[in-house]
Amino acid sequence: MKQLADRTLRWRSITESRLFFPTVAFLLVLLFDFLFIPGFFTIENRDGNLYGSLIDILRNGSTVSLLAIGMTLVIATGGVDLSVGAVMAIAASVAGILMNPSALRNEVFFVTDPTYTFQPLWVVIGAALLVALICGLWNGVLVAYMKIQPMVATLVLMTAGRGIAQLITNGLRVQITYRPFAYIGQGWFILPFSLYIVAFVLLVTWLLTRKTAIGMFIESVGINFRSSYFSGIQESKVKLMAYTFCGFCAGIAGLVACSNVKTSDANNTGLFIELDAILAVVIGGTSMSGGRFSLLASVIGALVMQAVTQSMYAIGVQSYALPAVKSVVVIIVILLFSEQVRGLFLGIGAKKKEV
Amino acid sequence: MLSRASNFISKNRRFIPQAATAVLAFVAYGMGFIYFEGMRNPQVFLNLFRNTSFILISAVGMTFVILSKGIDLSVSGVVVLTTVVSAALLRAGWNPWAVILLVLAIGMILGAIMGSFIVYLKVQPFIATLAGMWFARGMCFFISDNAINIDNRVFRILGQTKILIPGLKELADLQGTPAPYISIPVVVGFIVLLIGIYLAHYTRFGRTVYAIGGDEQSARLMGLPVNRTLMLVYTLNGFCSALAGLSFCLFVSSGHGLYAPGFEMDVIASVVIGGTLLTGGTGYVAGTFFGVMVLAITQALIQFIGTLSSWWTKIVIGVLMLVFIGVQAVLANRKIGDKALDARAVRRRRQKLAFGFGAAAVLVLLAIAVVPGLRGNSYNGQGETTACELEPFRKDEAARLIAEGAVIAYHRLAGPACINEMYVIYPDGRIQKDDGINTTETKIAPTEVENLLKTITEDYGWYTNEIRDTYHVPCRQCFAHYVIVAYEGQEKGVTAVDGGVNMPPGYGFTLAVIRAVLPDGQ
Repeated sequence: MKQLADRTLRWRSITESRLFFPTVAFLLVLLFDFLFIPGFFTIENRDGNLYGSLIDILRNGSTVSLLAIGMTLVIATGGVDLSVGAVMAIAASVAGILMNPSALRNEVFFVTDPTYTFQPLWVVIGAALLVALICGLWNGVLVAYMKIQPMVATLVLMTAGRGIAQLITNGLRVQITYRPFAYIGQGWFILPFSLYIVAFVLLVTWLLTRKTAIGMFIESVGINFRSSYFSGIQESKVKLMAYTFCGFCAGIAGLVACSNVKTSDANNTGLFIELDAILAVVIGGTSMSGGRFSLLASVIGALVMQAVTQSMYAIGVQSYALPAVKSVVVIIVILLFSEQVRGLFLGIGAKKKEV
Repeated sequence: MLSRASNFISKNRRFIPQAATAVLAFVAYGMGFIYFEGMRNPQVFLNLFRNTSFILISAVGMTFVILSKGIDLSVSGVVVLTTVVSAALLRAGWNPWAVILLVLAIGMILGAIMGSFIVYLKVQPFIATLAGMWFARGMCFFISDNAINIDNRVFRILGQTKILIPGLKELADLQGTPAPYISIPVVVGFIVLLIGIYLAHYTRFGRTVYAIGGDEQSARLMGLPVNRTLMLVYTLNGFCSALAGLSFCLFVSSGHGLYAPGFEMDVIASVVIGGTLLTGGTGYVAGTFFGVMVLAITQALIQFIGTLSSWWTKIVIGVLMLVFIGVQAVLANRKIGDKALDARAVRRRRQKLAFGFGAAAVLVLLAIAVVPGLRGNSYNGQGETTACELEPFRKDEAARLIAEGAVIAYHRLAGPACINEMYVIYPDGRIQKDDGINTTETKIAPTEVENLLKTITEDYGWYTNEIRDTYHVPCRQCFAHYVIVAYEGQEKGVTAVDGGVNMPPGYGFTLAVIRAVLPDGQ
């Protein structure tokens, strides 16, 4: 009897874990792949590097994962950042123009030399991340100090950001051929290099939020900013930090994305990706109204989104028709999270008990 | 006198944002009127309405949603679904009126579904309508991968009928210029606007919307039908989006799932610039009208300045939104702040706020200035899709062909099959098609060519300022066009991309008539 109680307790602790739901969702998608797509799980070993559909999910999901990490903190403070896609485009434009400034002369200069770059790599990456950081700071100031509604404040940069990115690249698509930069998105060291970036950012963020008090501050601001204000937490600074960090993550994601396609395209880099990032966080179980968060769960959420995308490609759904499938996934997820539907299920359970 | 004025202002304080937008619109137009001769043309003024009729229609519906403290991101999805469904059904030979009714019904049903998610399942409006947009855009590709042309008499009549303005017509006759006109979608837009104003301010429904936006809990406790009203609001917006989609459809006379990118942002921006607070409960439908006008005038000014590229529109709109939102936020903060904090704390907070804001602004400006990209350049057509390398327009070749006696050269790039085709029409009716590999030739009657040229020049105003370059990187399945027309000693070449929301209507019509005579009917 005691054993049984122990077992139910352990089962409970698993099911109530934040990671439970996204992991189950991820496994369900993989199960679908296992049943319907032959050869989905084969992993090839080419020259010591691993390739395969599973690896592709991880690699293609790295951009959204990076965004989801930053977005988790923002959503946990009770806000939302719609501008991440535009910030990605800005960061990519800065990086592109610093490596291949021919667009500024309004000429298309097809560089074929893989060692050519206008500025050294550290300047390229540093400048792009700095600009992304500034964008995040801008959002943070608007939200934390101007007290503008997060959705509205970040909408401004979302609208203007792509214009700024086009301004930087003079409206042209910038070709990037510099090989060391291409390694960021296309490099392979047993696993894709972008995975290590995600892992590193995740680890650092986890250490910063869970091994210091920052994580708790963020949650407390998200749950009730007034009472956290009265308990001495500087609500504005916490928010400012969250948005700045989100911008920074978007910058990294922008670098990965443009290095992956070897071009920086102000129009298409990170287009509509903010929605994927927000949904990844929602699937990860962080409430849109703020409060408790789990970084790992958000990253798994991002992988769920990517796994769905990848499986749909594998079974031959057109890439443009994909949003329709995604929207159905979203609807299922939000229904599962909805209080009303849960209440309905609980109601059925309760009635059965009475009988 | 002064006290009376200040008294008047404080009494009508709630109208300040709308008044500011209206003044902004007038000042911006006035500036254009002074600096650019072309803007004094009454037709240019009327084109402000023609070019934005679908934004206005959609923005009226959006105003209700935002007043009720919601948001609807699905409008662009519903708009493109409308274009694709109507194009597909018309191709299948349906009655155009039945098509119109059906797409309006689809819009309302989609709106109602999203509304029920928001109202009964308590899903955040942001998420529910986002899913709605994805669903609608995705469904377009289940219907058709490629753009479908609309070639229907009723749609053509609806799109191209000219409504002359009584007073202006006589004036134009006096000066010997073509009479300025508006189109049917403009009239529809104004009717929707008037109905919107009536609904918002003179009906029980409107008052309930304001009450819900102010405080949903209180509205519920007062016994107002909150759920029903919210459902109606989203259904109404679905209807408006579908209507906007129809008028967009008349505009571009084709349908495709990647059209109208970022349309919802234009609509939300016009509502916000029109003085409606995104926190709900404050604002006027009439303000939205001025918001749309500010958007239209910004576009027109940037077009007339000429050296600025079209993406400046986005930046200007972003800055305007920031100013409006910022000023409103500061006003709202002051109301609360003055009571809660003592004067010194208020001053300190303001200093901090100003400092933080200034620092951020300076940093962003620095970031922009670091990259010396601040040069106005017209877009010369570089850019490509993932499907293919997009080549530059063969403008020189086209100019040479015109010099050799052709009257129309039409160069088309990209599209689903990634083509690079040049059609050349000669006055004797020969049409040469050069797709890069083969050259084929067909023939139509010379009078047909003459009629074509006349239509393009006179009806669609090819040589007026209204027809202008609106090139941007095309969506992956869309065509990029370059048309050069020579008629009666005039010659003008213009670029554009399928589905751009800023494509001048005359350009779309021109494409449609040229396509109609091309050998494969494309």
